[in-house]
Amino acid sequence: MSIEVKNLIKTFDDKRVIDEVSFKVNDSETLAVVGFSGSGKSTILKLICGLLKPDSGEIMTTEGDIAMVFQYSALFDSLNVADNISFALRERKDLRKKYNEDELKEIVRQKLELVGLKGIENKFPSELSGGMQKRVSFARAIVTEPNTILYDEPTAGLDPISSTLIEDYIVRLKEETKAASIVVTHQMSTITRTADRVIMLYDGKIVFEGTPEEMLRQENEYTKQFVTASLEGPMKMIA
Amino acid sequence: MGALQKYYKQSATYKIFVGILSELTEFLDTVGKITIKCFQLFKAFFTSKIDKKELMEQCHRFGVTSLPITLSIVGMTSIIVSSQVAEEMVKQGGGHLVGLLITMLIIREVGAIMSGFAITSMIGSSMASELATMRVTEQIDAMEVLKVNPVEYLFVPRVLAGILMMPVIVILVSVVGVLAGAITSALTTDLTFIAYFDSAWLGVYMKDLSVCLLKAVAFGGTIALISCTCGFHASGGAKGVGLATTKAVVWSFVSIVIWDMLFAIAFFF
Repeated sequence: MSIEVKNLIKTFDDKRVIDEVSFKVNDSETLAVVGFSGSGKSTILKLICGLLKPDSGEIMTTEGDIAMVFQYSALFDSLNVADNISFALRERKDLRKKYNEDELKEIVRQKLELVGLKGIENKFPSELSGGMQKRVSFARAIVTEPNTILYDEPTAGLDPISSTLIEDYIVRLKEETKAASIVVTHQMSTITRTADRVIMLYDGKIVFEGTPEEMLRQENEYTKQFVTASLEGPMKMIA
Repeated sequence: MGALQKYYKQSATYKIFVGILSELTEFLDTVGKITIKCFQLFKAFFTSKIDKKELMEQCHRFGVTSLPITLSIVGMTSIIVSSQVAEEMVKQGGGHLVGLLITMLIIREVGAIMSGFAITSMIGSSMASELATMRVTEQIDAMEVLKVNPVEYLFVPRVLAGILMMPVIVILVSVVGVLAGAITSALTTDLTFIAYFDSAWLGVYMKDLSVCLLKAVAFGGTIALISCTCGFHASGGAKGVGLATTKAVVWSFVSIVIWDMLFAIAFFF
């Protein structure tokens, strides 16, 4: 077991955004969390990585680091790429004396290589394209060798080719790190290319749980509506 | 009962009451956040590794970039006051006290308070908007997920720079203020520099200089702490950044005046 969530509840302003949600993700497994905007997908990630506190319920993770790749990369814009990637190793109390400058440079080079980038150590985030920023944020996330990686809409706003590239890196990182991963997305290609299992959220509850293939079969009325992008179905959008 | 309740909720009295209550809640919320950050910062001063490069950068930002504005504001205030006061005092036979009055005014009040206002508008607002932008673009969230304490990384160098640099700024602006007063008095009356400086030191004691420096430390630390806290707790997008910046400036201005009043009561009452 790497992540186990039991009966999780989170409320914002009297609205129950997460309503008794339970699921499990094993090591070397990727779970896609899908659903409409505002269905509580990103909230689940923030609860797992500790940015939000649940009202009730349990979140159990295997001992070790949790990394998160943010929707808009969230790179530190005053630091260059090398300093962004090595940030945790330089600033975290338990890691700051572990590596010397040469070792840090080598780690940065290795992590950049892992996400298919090189020679951009001295560039600032504003000098990079959206896809490159996303890959740098991948490199920053895995620098502490996490055993859980959370991706918040990793392919949102990217062109189809960049999306494919990012999806390939999600698969590659899972294979390299053996980490349990959760990918929040509503992009079908990201679901089919990266996920081993899928859960669909609606109104704070899980309305579907299965493999991407099962989801595409559209046997569930929720997945049918989602896959066909139909306005007709059990899920109502608030206009 | 339902209709009555609905009618009451539309009344001006109800709206005013709700408005006051929400302002009061907001006020107490901000006081609470600043107090909590103050305690966390105090702890962080002893536990965190101070990044010398970052500290130097913040000192440069706080002390050097703000200097032209603070020097101009205090210098001009001194010119405004002395051009109006010197001639009248000489006429009334108090020419021998012009230097004393201007120097006391600059050292006790104008130097520190005007610098505080200038630094708030220039540096405090930029600190608040910087941290607010980091908050709304999830950079602070990323820092927390990477298990780096934002109070240690963001607050410590900024507040320390405020505490260290503000006394330096106040000393420099006070010197410029006293000199500007001397030049203006010499130009508007027949007072000599020697007469001005002879009287300048008559009423200025070590206590005045010490209180002036203490004030500078309090103002510098408070501006940085309030600006960082308001930015740190920003929410929403561009509007949130704007609101956080405005809040930082207003709260810093009010806090400077409150500090000044407390110093006046404690040392000169």
